[in-house]
Amino acid sequence: MSNNTADREVILSIKHVDISFDVGGKKKFVAVKDANFDIYKGETFALVGESGSGKTTLGRAIMRINPCSSGEILFEGKRISGKISREEDRNVVRNIQMIFQDPAASLNERATIEYCISEGLYNFHLYKDEEERIAKVDRALQDVGLLPEHKSRYPHEFSGGQRQRVGIARAMIMDPKLIVADEPISALDVSIRAQVLNLMNKLKAEKNLTYLFIAHDLSVVRFIADRIAVIHLGEIVEIADSETLFRCPLHPYTISLLSAVPMPDPVVERTRRAIVYDPSKLDQSGAPRSLREIRPGHFVFATDKEMEGYEKKLAGIESGNDQ
Amino acid sequence: MNTENIDKSLFTFAAFDEMESEHIAAPRYSYWKSVWKTFFKNKFTVAVAVLLIVVVAFALIQPTRSGYSPINTPNINNAELKFLKPSAEHIFGTDHVGNEVFDAVWAGARNSIIISFVCTAINMLVGIPVGALWGFSKKMDKWMIEVYNIISNVPFLLLAMILSYVLGAGMRSLIITMTCTEWIYVAYFIRTQVMIIRDREYNMASKCLGTRTWTMILKNILPYLISVIMTYVSRQIPSLISYEVFLSYMGLGLGTTNASLGQSISLYTSYMNGYPHLFWIPVGVLAFISISLYIVGQKLADAADPRTHM
Repeated sequence: MSNNTADREVILSIKHVDISFDVGGKKKFVAVKDANFDIYKGETFALVGESGSGKTTLGRAIMRINPCSSGEILFEGKRISGKISREEDRNVVRNIQMIFQDPAASLNERATIEYCISEGLYNFHLYKDEEERIAKVDRALQDVGLLPEHKSRYPHEFSGGQRQRVGIARAMIMDPKLIVADEPISALDVSIRAQVLNLMNKLKAEKNLTYLFIAHDLSVVRFIADRIAVIHLGEIVEIADSETLFRCPLHPYTISLLSAVPMPDPVVERTRRAIVYDPSKLDQSGAPRSLREIRPGHFVFATDKEMEGYEKKLAGIESGNDQ
Repeated sequence: MNTENIDKSLFTFAAFDEMESEHIAAPRYSYWKSVWKTFFKNKFTVAVAVLLIVVVAFALIQPTRSGYSPINTPNINNAELKFLKPSAEHIFGTDHVGNEVFDAVWAGARNSIIISFVCTAINMLVGIPVGALWGFSKKMDKWMIEVYNIISNVPFLLLAMILSYVLGAGMRSLIITMTCTEWIYVAYFIRTQVMIIRDREYNMASKCLGTRTWTMILKNILPYLISVIMTYVSRQIPSLISYEVFLSYMGLGLGTTNASLGQSISLYTSYMNGYPHLFWIPVGVLAFISISLYIVGQKLADAADPRTHM
């Protein structure tokens, strides 16, 4: 489990990344503060947080849409943040693709599905002749459960789930190594969320992909993620593998986030209490907080004093005395 | 309900083909076909469009037959042929030098139409690409906005006067006058439109797929702007015709050797009291061309908006 993370290959590494935006004049809004984590090859890494926590900003920084104000992002050991050569930029585009939140907004309404899916192929000339391009588009459509006859259709003719699958096909046709999925199912109807998640899992196994899955809903993340990072107001408060995070959450924010997940069981749901996150209960001494490894692979954002408390709690859970 | 008495053999599982549910039954959508369909739906617009085409074609052809020129005044000494009322023989009557008003008006309309069409074409061809790039590039925006501020603060009439003194009167100088600064307003308009849709998610998606700026302008931005560009064109053509009339009226236009609607209007204004038809006929032709161009352009712009296709 978490012990063997050391010998796994790191595909993406976020090192002390700060992202800030100018808010008129000299004021700056810091969206992400000192983010630090690695994503291993072949895993699904989830980034979970509420609206405005900076999770999408971080995802977009990886796509080179938002610049980092400090720190660096490494992809396969090479820096991809800040100024890089055009060739390296093209390399990033080839290898890192994104699935967007809103399938209605992320497709060009005035282009056919064929163009939408071929766009990446055109940009990198990933085909020998027209015939091969068409064949690739057909295969990409079939891979996501759509029909080749959809090529000549326009995005507005499709349902939300179908449009999101077009978005997935357009990313997959590039044969990327890493996919940043920015809340890929939040805008979808509940009835087709599972379909899209299953499709993503299927494609991951087939194509040997790595996902950075951005979400605000822990119940979804539990189903798809290997490891989870919880982000709150731009700070990553806890990172652990999925099972550990659900079994022994340490940071009070993680606990409150977990308590907010509705249970599809009326008996349990009746007694479920949502725990409100209260930052004033944290260590107020002003001691510096940092992301520390409390168990191998389990990180928590804490001061020295809080660390002791978490240690005690964790020991309690491990000995099976209380939860 | 008692279900045990129901014969189970009556029921079979229905076959379910998942791919069948992906099928789209709606007929295929074609953008331009829908544009024309929507446009031709409105009978009034079609009637105006047909009339407009007839008038414009007539204005372009008739003067080549009549050979009208304002400096050509064979009847100037024949008092009997001056200031005739419109009749079967002289459709629009005759003017102060005994020339046919009918010929004068169409020769003027021809020049006015040619100038406004050529100027609009030049302004659009320069303004749209510049504006699209201007909207995309933040670096370019920084200095282009200063260029815009400077140009838009030069009074147009002053510029027209200087240019007409430097270049002399004539078609060429008039076209230069009406394009040398006008394109930047088109560019500014396009820039604002591009900035509105530049950061939409589908453009971000294109960027993530490595699409270059020019491809993005052609495929992602301009198709969205067809409707607003058409609206702009449908306002620009009539407004340039009015500009031409205005400049000719001010004496800065084509000069006395060329016919133009502005020339005719300015000349005939002096006979307003005795022979008002001399003034109203060119004004009426001008108004008809301007208004019908505007109506047809607006309806085309509406039809080009896919929200009207449903």
